[in-house]
Amino acid sequence: MRVHIDTTRCTGHGMCEAAAEDVFEVGPDGITHLLIDPDPSQRREVEAAVAECPTRALSVEP
Amino acid sequence: MTQHVTRSASGNPDRPYDELDISSRAFWSTSADVREKTFALLRERGTVTWHPPFQDQLLEDPEDYGFWAVTRYDDLVEVTKRHEDFLSGPGILMENLPAEFVEAGQSIIGMDPPRHTKLRRLVASAFTPKQMRRINDRIQANAAMVVDNLIEALERDGGQTDFVAECAELLPMHNINDIMGVPDGERQKAAHQMKVGTSWNDPELVGETREEVFTSLLGAMGYMHQLASGLAAERRENPTDDLITALALAEVDGEVLTDHEIGAFFVLLTIAGNDTTRQSTSHGLRGLTDFPEQRAWLLGDLEARLPDAVEELVRWATPIMTFRRTASRDCELAGQQITEGDKVVMFYSSANRDEARIERPHELDLSRHPNPHISFGGGGIHHCLGNQLARFQLKALFTELLTRLPDLEAGEPELTPGNFFNVVKRMPAWRAQNAT
Repeated sequence: MRVHIDTTRCTGHGMCEAAAEDVFEVGPDGITHLLIDPDPSQRREVEAAVAECPTRALSVEP
Repeated sequence: MTQHVTRSASGNPDRPYDELDISSRAFWSTSADVREKTFALLRERGTVTWHPPFQDQLLEDPEDYGFWAVTRYDDLVEVTKRHEDFLSGPGILMENLPAEFVEAGQSIIGMDPPRHTKLRRLVASAFTPKQMRRINDRIQANAAMVVDNLIEALERDGGQTDFVAECAELLPMHNINDIMGVPDGERQKAAHQMKVGTSWNDPELVGETREEVFTSLLGAMGYMHQLASGLAAERRENPTDDLITALALAEVDGEVLTDHEIGAFFVLLTIAGNDTTRQSTSHGLRGLTDFPEQRAWLLGDLEARLPDAVEELVRWATPIMTFRRTASRDCELAGQQITEGDKVVMFYSSANRDEARIERPHELDLSRHPNPHISFGGGGIHHCLGNQLARFQLKALFTELLTRLPDLEAGEPELTPGNFFNVVKRMPAWRAQNAT
Protein backbone atom coordinates (compact mmCIF):
# COMPACT_ATOMS: atom_id res chain seq x y z
CA MET A 1 0.00 0.00 0.00
CA ARG A 2 1.60 3.26 -1.13
CA VAL A 3 0.41 6.57 0.25
CA HIS A 4 1.08 9.79 -1.65
CA ILE A 5 1.04 13.26 -0.05
CA ASP A 6 0.59 16.21 -2.40
CA THR A 7 2.69 18.79 -0.58
CA THR A 8 1.40 21.60 -2.77
CA ARG A 9 -2.11 21.08 -1.37
CA CYS A 10 -1.61 19.97 2.26
CA THR A 11 -2.15 22.69 4.87
CA GLY A 12 -1.63 20.54 7.94
CA HIS A 13 -5.22 20.31 9.21
CA GLY A 14 -4.23 17.11 10.97
CA MET A 15 -7.41 15.23 10.14
CA CYS A 16 -5.15 12.43 8.87
CA GLU A 17 -3.35 12.45 12.20
CA ALA A 18 -6.70 12.05 13.96
CA ALA A 19 -7.72 9.19 11.65
CA ALA A 20 -4.39 7.31 11.54
CA GLU A 21 -2.00 8.65 14.15
CA ASP A 22 0.59 5.91 13.68
CA VAL A 23 0.88 6.73 9.98
CA PHE A 24 0.68 10.53 9.68
CA GLU A 25 2.14 13.45 11.58
CA VAL A 26 2.01 17.16 10.79
CA GLY A 27 5.48 18.66 11.08
CA PRO A 28 6.62 22.14 12.08
CA ASP A 29 6.47 22.97 8.35
CA GLY A 30 2.67 22.69 8.51
CA ILE A 31 2.63 19.71 6.15
CA THR A 32 1.80 16.12 7.02
CA HIS A 33 4.50 13.46 6.78
CA LEU A 34 4.45 9.68 6.62
CA LEU A 35 5.82 8.11 9.80
CA ILE A 36 5.89 4.63 8.27
CA ASP A 37 4.85 2.80 5.14
CA PRO A 38 1.51 1.59 6.35
CA ASP A 39 0.86 -2.07 6.79
CA PRO A 40 -2.15 -3.63 4.98
CA SER A 41 -3.78 -4.02 8.40
CA GLN A 42 -3.92 -0.21 8.63
CA ARG A 43 -5.79 0.19 5.36
CA ARG A 44 -9.07 1.21 6.97
CA GLU A 45 -7.53 4.11 8.94
CA VAL A 46 -5.49 5.24 5.98
CA GLU A 47 -8.51 5.26 3.71
CA ALA A 48 -10.43 7.27 6.30
CA ALA A 49 -7.58 9.80 6.36
CA VAL A 50 -7.63 10.02 2.56
CA ALA A 51 -11.40 10.52 2.51
CA GLU A 52 -11.43 13.18 5.24
CA CYS A 53 -8.54 15.29 3.99
CA PRO A 54 -10.01 18.79 3.55
CA THR A 55 -7.50 19.74 0.86
CA ARG A 56 -7.60 16.40 -0.99
CA ALA A 57 -3.85 16.10 -0.58
CA LEU A 58 -3.78 12.36 0.12
CA SER A 59 -4.12 9.39 -2.18
CA VAL A 60 -3.46 5.70 -1.76
CA GLU A 61 -2.47 3.11 -4.33
CA PRO A 62 -3.82 -0.40 -3.94
CA MET B 1 -12.54 37.74 -10.42
CA THR B 2 -9.68 39.38 -8.52
CA GLN B 3 -8.68 37.56 -5.38
CA HIS B 4 -8.58 39.04 -1.89
CA VAL B 5 -10.44 42.21 -2.73
CA THR B 6 -13.38 42.81 -0.45
CA ARG B 7 -16.51 43.14 -2.52
CA SER B 8 -20.15 43.76 -1.64
CA ALA B 9 -21.88 43.89 -5.06
CA SER B 10 -23.83 40.71 -5.80
CA GLY B 11 -26.46 39.43 -8.24
CA ASN B 12 -28.80 41.44 -10.46
CA PRO B 13 -32.11 43.29 -10.08
CA ASP B 14 -34.09 40.88 -12.28
CA ARG B 15 -33.84 37.71 -10.24
CA PRO B 16 -36.99 37.14 -8.11
CA TYR B 17 -36.61 36.68 -4.36
CA ASP B 18 -37.86 33.77 -2.32
CA GLU B 19 -40.89 34.87 -0.26
CA LEU B 20 -39.46 33.67 3.06
CA ASP B 21 -37.59 36.28 5.11
CA ILE B 22 -34.09 35.53 6.36
CA SER B 23 -32.70 39.00 5.65
CA SER B 24 -34.37 41.17 8.30
CA ARG B 25 -32.98 42.29 11.62
CA ALA B 26 -36.19 41.01 13.21
CA PHE B 27 -35.47 37.49 11.92
CA TRP B 28 -31.94 37.54 13.36
CA SER B 29 -33.20 38.94 16.68
CA THR B 30 -35.32 35.87 17.45
CA SER B 31 -33.99 32.58 18.76
CA ALA B 32 -32.43 29.70 16.85
CA ASP B 33 -35.59 27.63 17.42
CA VAL B 34 -37.78 30.27 15.80
CA ARG B 35 -35.39 30.70 12.85
CA GLU B 36 -35.29 26.94 12.36
CA LYS B 37 -38.99 26.98 11.40
CA THR B 38 -38.11 29.13 8.38
CA PHE B 39 -34.98 27.15 7.54
CA ALA B 40 -37.01 23.92 7.59
CA LEU B 41 -39.31 25.39 4.91
CA LEU B 42 -36.34 26.56 2.84
CA ARG B 43 -34.75 23.10 3.00
CA GLU B 44 -38.02 21.72 1.60
CA ARG B 45 -37.49 23.83 -1.53
CA GLY B 46 -34.87 21.22 -2.42
CA THR B 47 -32.38 23.74 -3.75
CA VAL B 48 -30.65 27.03 -2.96
CA THR B 49 -32.85 30.15 -2.79
CA TRP B 50 -32.27 33.82 -3.65
CA HIS B 51 -32.86 36.50 -0.99
CA PRO B 52 -32.52 40.29 -0.61
CA PRO B 53 -29.43 41.69 1.15
CA PHE B 54 -29.31 41.82 4.94
CA GLN B 55 -31.54 44.68 6.08
CA ASP B 56 -30.12 48.07 7.21
CA GLN B 57 -26.51 47.07 6.75
CA LEU B 58 -23.72 49.24 8.06
CA LEU B 59 -22.55 49.63 4.49
CA GLU B 60 -25.20 49.92 1.79
CA ASP B 61 -24.16 48.96 -1.75
CA PRO B 62 -26.73 49.81 -4.48
CA GLU B 63 -25.25 47.00 -6.53
CA ASP B 64 -25.81 44.43 -3.80
CA TYR B 65 -29.02 42.66 -4.88
CA GLY B 66 -28.80 39.78 -2.45
CA PHE B 67 -27.45 36.29 -1.85
CA TRP B 68 -28.12 32.62 -2.45
CA ALA B 69 -29.07 30.79 0.75
CA VAL B 70 -27.55 27.35 1.23
CA THR B 71 -29.69 25.67 3.87
CA ARG B 72 -29.37 21.94 3.10
CA TYR B 73 -26.57 19.83 4.55
CA ASP B 74 -25.39 18.32 1.26
CA ASP B 75 -25.35 21.68 -0.52
CA LEU B 76 -23.31 23.24 2.29
CA VAL B 77 -20.73 20.46 2.08
CA GLU B 78 -20.58 20.89 -1.70
CA VAL B 79 -20.03 24.67 -1.54
CA THR B 80 -17.35 24.15 1.10
CA LYS B 81 -15.48 21.71 -1.13
CA ARG B 82 -15.83 23.71 -4.36
CA HIS B 83 -13.40 26.41 -3.22
CA GLU B 84 -12.38 27.22 -6.80
CA ASP B 85 -15.99 28.10 -7.70
CA PHE B 86 -16.87 29.72 -4.38
CA LEU B 87 -14.22 32.13 -3.11
CA SER B 88 -13.51 33.45 0.36
CA GLY B 89 -11.31 36.37 -0.75
CA PRO B 90 -14.18 38.79 -1.51
CA GLY B 91 -15.52 38.34 2.06
CA ILE B 92 -16.89 35.72 4.44
CA LEU B 93 -19.62 37.67 6.24
CA MET B 94 -23.26 37.78 5.20
CA GLU B 95 -23.29 41.50 6.00
CA ASN B 96 -21.41 44.33 4.29
CA LEU B 97 -18.92 45.97 6.65
CA PRO B 98 -16.21 48.54 5.82
CA ALA B 99 -13.39 46.91 3.82
CA GLU B 100 -10.75 48.51 6.06
CA PHE B 101 -12.33 46.82 9.08
CA VAL B 102 -12.85 43.46 7.41
CA GLU B 103 -9.33 43.28 6.00
CA ALA B 104 -7.82 44.13 9.38
CA GLY B 105 -9.29 40.99 10.88
CA GLN B 106 -9.93 38.15 8.50
CA SER B 107 -6.48 36.99 7.35
CA ILE B 108 -6.54 33.38 6.07
CA ILE B 109 -10.27 32.90 6.61
CA GLY B 110 -10.77 35.48 3.84
CA MET B 111 -8.14 34.06 1.47
CA ASP B 112 -8.04 31.54 -1.33
CA PRO B 113 -5.20 29.31 -2.53
CA PRO B 114 -2.32 29.65 -3.16
CA ARG B 115 -1.83 32.38 -0.50
CA HIS B 116 -4.21 30.66 1.91
CA THR B 117 -2.25 27.42 1.65
CA LYS B 118 1.07 29.03 2.50
CA LEU B 119 -0.15 31.16 5.39
CA ARG B 120 -2.24 28.46 7.03
CA ARG B 121 0.81 26.20 7.21
CA LEU B 122 2.56 28.76 9.41
CA VAL B 123 0.21 27.99 12.29
CA ALA B 124 -1.02 24.47 11.48
CA SER B 125 1.36 22.51 13.71
CA ALA B 126 0.16 24.41 16.80
CA PHE B 127 -3.35 22.91 16.48
CA THR B 128 -2.90 19.26 15.47
CA PRO B 129 -4.33 16.37 17.51
CA LYS B 130 -0.87 15.31 18.71
CA GLN B 131 0.02 18.85 19.70
CA MET B 132 -3.21 19.08 21.71
CA ARG B 133 -2.17 15.95 23.60
CA ARG B 134 1.18 17.58 24.35
CA ILE B 135 -0.51 20.65 25.88
CA ASN B 136 -3.45 18.81 27.43
CA ASP B 137 -2.05 19.15 30.97
CA ARG B 138 -2.11 22.90 30.54
CA ILE B 139 -5.63 22.85 29.10
CA GLN B 140 -6.81 20.77 32.07
CA ALA B 141 -5.07 23.06 34.55
CA ASN B 142 -6.76 26.07 32.94
CA ALA B 143 -10.12 24.29 33.14
CA ALA B 144 -9.61 23.64 36.86
CA MET B 145 -8.66 27.31 37.34
CA VAL B 146 -11.77 28.69 35.65
CA VAL B 147 -14.05 26.35 37.60
CA ASP B 148 -12.29 27.54 40.80
CA ASN B 149 -13.17 31.03 39.63
CA LEU B 150 -16.80 30.07 39.00
CA ILE B 151 -17.13 28.51 42.45
CA GLU B 152 -15.74 31.67 44.06
CA ALA B 153 -18.10 33.83 42.00
CA LEU B 154 -21.10 31.73 43.03
CA GLU B 155 -20.17 32.22 46.69
CA ARG B 156 -19.45 35.92 46.25
CA ASP B 157 -22.69 36.60 44.35
CA GLY B 158 -24.99 34.78 46.76
CA GLY B 159 -25.35 31.53 44.87
CA GLN B 160 -26.10 32.89 41.38
CA THR B 161 -23.62 34.40 38.95
CA ASP B 162 -23.04 35.12 35.25
CA PHE B 163 -21.78 31.88 33.76
CA VAL B 164 -20.39 33.56 30.62
CA ALA B 165 -18.17 36.08 32.40
CA GLU B 166 -17.12 33.81 35.25
CA CYS B 167 -16.49 30.61 33.32
CA ALA B 168 -17.41 30.12 29.65
CA GLU B 169 -15.34 32.93 28.18
CA LEU B 170 -12.31 32.41 30.41
CA LEU B 171 -11.13 28.97 29.34
CA PRO B 172 -10.82 29.63 25.59
CA MET B 173 -9.22 33.00 26.33
CA HIS B 174 -6.46 31.47 28.43
CA ASN B 175 -5.79 28.57 26.07
CA ILE B 176 -5.59 30.51 22.80
CA ASN B 177 -3.40 33.15 24.44
CA ASP B 178 -1.12 30.52 25.99
CA ILE B 179 -0.64 29.17 22.46
CA MET B 180 -0.13 32.60 20.88
CA GLY B 181 2.01 33.97 23.68
CA VAL B 182 -0.04 36.92 24.92
CA PRO B 183 0.70 37.59 28.60
CA ASP B 184 -1.89 37.47 31.38
CA GLY B 185 -3.31 40.96 31.83
CA GLU B 186 -2.95 41.77 28.13
CA ARG B 187 -5.11 38.84 27.06
CA GLN B 188 -8.11 40.11 29.02
CA LYS B 189 -7.86 43.51 27.33
CA ALA B 190 -7.48 41.89 23.92
CA ALA B 191 -10.52 39.67 24.54
CA HIS B 192 -12.56 42.73 25.46
CA GLN B 193 -11.44 44.64 22.37
CA MET B 194 -12.45 41.71 20.19
CA LYS B 195 -15.81 41.53 21.89
CA VAL B 196 -16.27 45.12 20.72
CA GLY B 197 -14.89 44.25 17.28
CA THR B 198 -17.41 41.45 16.75
CA SER B 199 -20.46 43.26 18.17
CA TRP B 200 -21.42 45.53 15.29
CA ASN B 201 -25.08 44.70 15.98
CA ASP B 202 -24.94 45.39 19.73
CA PRO B 203 -25.39 49.07 20.77
CA GLU B 204 -24.27 48.24 24.32
CA LEU B 205 -20.76 47.59 23.05
CA VAL B 206 -20.38 49.76 19.94
CA GLY B 207 -22.88 52.63 20.31
CA GLU B 208 -26.02 53.61 18.43
CA THR B 209 -25.11 55.74 15.43
CA ARG B 210 -23.28 54.55 12.33
CA GLU B 211 -20.42 56.90 13.21
CA GLU B 212 -20.12 55.52 16.74
CA VAL B 213 -20.15 51.96 15.41
CA PHE B 214 -17.41 52.65 12.82
CA THR B 215 -15.28 54.37 15.44
CA SER B 216 -15.70 51.47 17.90
CA LEU B 217 -14.93 48.80 15.32
CA LEU B 218 -11.87 50.50 13.85
CA GLY B 219 -10.66 51.44 17.33
CA ALA B 220 -10.76 47.81 18.40
CA MET B 221 -8.82 46.75 15.30
CA GLY B 222 -6.25 49.50 15.87
CA TYR B 223 -5.71 48.34 19.44
CA MET B 224 -5.16 44.74 18.36
CA HIS B 225 -2.78 45.60 15.53
CA GLN B 226 -0.70 47.73 17.86
CA LEU B 227 -0.57 44.93 20.42
CA ALA B 228 0.44 42.42 17.73
CA SER B 229 3.17 44.67 16.33
CA GLY B 230 4.62 45.19 19.79
CA LEU B 231 4.62 41.49 20.63
CA ALA B 232 6.09 40.57 17.22
CA ALA B 233 8.92 43.09 17.69
CA GLU B 234 9.70 41.60 21.11
CA ARG B 235 9.75 38.07 19.70
CA ARG B 236 12.11 39.01 16.90
CA GLU B 237 14.54 40.02 19.65
CA ASN B 238 13.77 37.10 21.95
CA PRO B 239 12.17 34.22 20.07
CA THR B 240 10.15 31.62 21.99
CA ASP B 241 8.13 28.60 20.86
CA ASP B 242 4.82 30.50 20.69
CA LEU B 243 2.70 31.43 17.66
CA ILE B 244 3.57 35.13 17.71
CA THR B 245 7.21 34.08 17.25
CA ALA B 246 6.24 31.78 14.38
CA LEU B 247 4.44 34.63 12.63
CA ALA B 248 7.13 37.21 13.42
CA LEU B 249 9.88 35.06 11.92
CA ALA B 250 7.92 33.46 9.07
CA GLU B 251 8.93 33.84 5.48
CA VAL B 252 6.47 33.23 2.67
CA ASP B 253 7.75 33.28 -0.90
CA GLY B 254 10.99 34.70 0.44
CA GLU B 255 9.35 37.63 2.24
CA VAL B 256 8.52 38.18 5.90
CA LEU B 257 4.93 38.99 6.79
CA THR B 258 4.06 42.67 7.06
CA ASP B 259 2.89 44.07 10.39
CA HIS B 260 -0.59 44.35 8.87
CA GLU B 261 -0.57 40.66 7.93
CA ILE B 262 0.62 39.65 11.39
CA GLY B 263 -1.99 41.92 12.97
CA ALA B 264 -4.81 40.46 10.88
CA PHE B 265 -3.71 36.90 11.68
CA PHE B 266 -3.58 37.83 15.38
CA VAL B 267 -7.10 39.27 15.23
CA LEU B 268 -8.45 36.18 13.47
CA LEU B 269 -6.85 33.79 15.98
CA THR B 270 -8.07 35.89 18.91
CA ILE B 271 -11.65 36.04 17.65
CA ALA B 272 -11.83 32.43 16.51
CA GLY B 273 -10.13 31.27 19.70
CA ASN B 274 -12.28 33.25 22.12
CA ASP B 275 -15.65 33.44 20.54
CA THR B 276 -16.56 29.90 19.53
CA THR B 277 -15.84 27.58 22.45
CA ARG B 278 -17.39 30.11 24.80
CA GLN B 279 -20.67 29.79 22.87
CA SER B 280 -20.48 25.97 22.85
CA THR B 281 -19.89 26.00 26.60
CA SER B 282 -22.82 28.30 27.33
CA HIS B 283 -25.30 26.67 24.96
CA GLY B 284 -24.01 23.34 26.27
CA LEU B 285 -24.79 24.09 29.90
CA ARG B 286 -28.19 25.37 28.87
CA GLY B 287 -28.80 22.14 26.95
CA LEU B 288 -27.86 20.05 30.00
CA THR B 289 -30.29 22.15 32.04
CA ASP B 290 -33.15 21.87 29.54
CA PHE B 291 -32.71 18.09 29.21
CA PRO B 292 -31.95 16.69 32.68
CA GLU B 293 -32.29 13.11 31.43
CA GLN B 294 -29.37 13.78 29.06
CA ARG B 295 -27.27 15.09 31.94
CA ALA B 296 -28.14 12.04 34.02
CA TRP B 297 -27.09 9.75 31.17
CA LEU B 298 -23.79 11.60 30.80
CA LEU B 299 -23.07 11.51 34.54
CA GLY B 300 -23.64 7.75 34.44
CA ASP B 301 -20.15 7.34 32.90
CA LEU B 302 -18.70 10.78 32.35
CA GLU B 303 -15.28 9.82 31.07
CA ALA B 304 -16.48 7.29 28.51
CA ARG B 305 -19.50 9.27 27.32
CA LEU B 306 -18.02 12.75 27.16
CA PRO B 307 -16.35 12.51 23.71
CA ASP B 308 -19.68 11.83 21.98
CA ALA B 309 -21.44 14.33 24.22
CA VAL B 310 -19.01 17.07 23.21
CA GLU B 311 -19.73 16.46 19.52
CA GLU B 312 -23.45 16.77 20.17
CA LEU B 313 -23.06 19.93 22.27
CA VAL B 314 -21.05 21.50 19.44
CA ARG B 315 -23.83 20.58 17.00
CA TRP B 316 -26.45 21.90 19.41
CA ALA B 317 -24.62 25.22 19.85
CA THR B 318 -23.54 25.79 16.23
CA PRO B 319 -21.36 28.73 17.41
CA ILE B 320 -20.95 30.16 13.91
CA MET B 321 -24.22 30.38 12.03
CA THR B 322 -23.14 31.64 8.58
CA PHE B 323 -20.21 31.92 6.22
CA ARG B 324 -20.37 33.64 2.87
CA ARG B 325 -18.66 32.71 -0.38
CA THR B 326 -18.65 34.52 -3.74
CA ALA B 327 -18.95 32.79 -7.13
CA SER B 328 -15.72 33.06 -9.10
CA ARG B 329 -17.49 32.20 -12.38
CA ASP B 330 -20.86 31.25 -13.80
CA CYS B 331 -21.68 27.77 -12.54
CA GLU B 332 -24.45 25.51 -11.31
CA LEU B 333 -25.36 24.71 -7.72
CA ALA B 334 -28.24 22.45 -6.69
CA GLY B 335 -29.81 22.94 -10.12
CA GLN B 336 -29.66 26.75 -9.98
CA GLN B 337 -27.65 28.91 -12.35
CA ILE B 338 -25.18 30.93 -10.27
CA THR B 339 -23.61 34.03 -11.83
CA GLU B 340 -20.05 35.23 -11.32
CA GLY B 341 -20.02 37.64 -8.40
CA ASP B 342 -23.12 36.23 -6.69
CA LYS B 343 -22.89 35.93 -2.94
CA VAL B 344 -23.56 32.44 -1.60
CA VAL B 345 -24.29 32.21 2.13
CA MET B 346 -24.11 28.91 4.00
CA PHE B 347 -26.41 28.49 7.01
CA TYR B 348 -24.69 26.11 9.41
CA SER B 349 -27.51 26.18 11.96
CA SER B 350 -29.84 24.93 9.22
CA ALA B 351 -27.53 22.19 7.92
CA ASN B 352 -27.06 20.95 11.49
CA ARG B 353 -30.84 20.43 11.68
CA ASP B 354 -31.22 18.81 8.25
CA GLU B 355 -33.26 15.61 8.67
CA ALA B 356 -31.69 14.24 5.48
CA ARG B 357 -28.34 13.75 7.23
CA ILE B 358 -29.02 14.11 10.98
CA GLU B 359 -31.57 11.74 12.48
CA ARG B 360 -34.02 13.35 14.92
CA PRO B 361 -32.15 16.65 14.50
CA HIS B 362 -34.32 18.53 16.98
CA GLU B 363 -33.36 16.25 19.87
CA LEU B 364 -30.29 16.80 22.01
CA ASP B 365 -28.91 13.24 22.05
CA LEU B 366 -25.54 13.13 23.78
CA SER B 367 -25.08 9.50 22.74
CA ARG B 368 -25.37 10.35 19.02
CA HIS B 369 -22.75 8.33 17.14
CA PRO B 370 -21.57 8.89 14.53
CA ASN B 371 -22.33 12.59 14.61
CA PRO B 372 -21.78 14.18 11.20
CA HIS B 373 -22.41 17.79 12.36
CA ILE B 374 -20.82 20.59 10.33
CA SER B 375 -20.13 23.05 13.17
CA PHE B 376 -16.41 22.92 12.31
CA GLY B 377 -17.13 23.11 8.58
CA GLY B 378 -18.15 20.93 5.70
CA GLY B 379 -14.71 19.38 5.17
CA GLY B 380 -13.14 21.92 2.82
CA ILE B 381 -9.91 23.90 2.90
CA HIS B 382 -11.21 26.35 5.52
CA HIS B 383 -12.15 23.60 7.97
CA CYS B 384 -11.83 24.94 11.52
CA LEU B 385 -8.16 25.29 12.46
CA GLY B 386 -8.98 24.96 16.15
CA ASN B 387 -11.37 22.02 16.03
CA GLN B 388 -9.10 19.79 18.11
CA LEU B 389 -8.43 22.57 20.59
CA ALA B 390 -12.18 23.12 20.94
CA ARG B 391 -12.74 19.42 21.61
CA PHE B 392 -9.96 19.17 24.18
CA GLN B 393 -11.18 22.32 25.95
CA LEU B 394 -14.80 21.21 26.10
CA LYS B 395 -13.81 17.79 27.43
CA ALA B 396 -11.59 19.35 30.09
CA LEU B 397 -14.17 21.94 31.12
CA PHE B 398 -17.23 19.68 31.29
CA THR B 399 -15.16 17.12 33.20
CA GLU B 400 -14.36 19.77 35.83
CA LEU B 401 -17.86 21.26 35.84
CA LEU B 402 -19.78 18.02 36.07
CA THR B 403 -17.43 16.50 38.63
CA ARG B 404 -17.31 19.48 40.97
CA LEU B 405 -20.68 21.12 40.24
CA PRO B 406 -22.84 18.27 38.88
CA ASP B 407 -26.04 20.16 39.73
CA LEU B 408 -25.05 23.45 38.05
CA GLU B 409 -28.03 24.88 36.17
CA ALA B 410 -28.39 27.71 33.67
CA GLY B 411 -31.15 30.31 33.48
CA GLU B 412 -32.43 32.08 30.40
CA PRO B 413 -29.55 33.06 28.07
CA GLU B 414 -29.36 36.67 26.89
CA LEU B 415 -28.58 36.43 23.17
CA THR B 416 -26.86 39.11 21.09
CA PRO B 417 -28.80 39.68 17.85
CA GLY B 418 -26.80 38.89 14.73
CA ASN B 419 -26.27 36.48 11.88
CA PHE B 420 -22.67 35.35 12.41
CA PHE B 421 -21.84 34.28 15.97
CA ASN B 422 -24.50 32.52 18.02
CA VAL B 423 -23.66 34.68 21.03
CA VAL B 424 -24.77 34.06 24.59
CA LYS B 425 -23.91 37.42 26.09
CA ARG B 426 -24.90 36.67 29.66
CA MET B 427 -26.52 33.69 31.33
CA PRO B 428 -27.22 33.24 35.03
CA ALA B 429 -26.16 29.98 36.66
CA TRP B 430 -26.68 28.44 40.09
CA ARG B 431 -26.46 25.10 41.86
CA ALA B 432 -29.77 23.28 42.11
CA GLN B 433 -29.03 22.41 45.75
CA ASN B 434 -29.07 26.16 46.48
CA ALA B 435 -32.27 26.84 44.58
CA THR B 436 -35.43 27.29 46.58
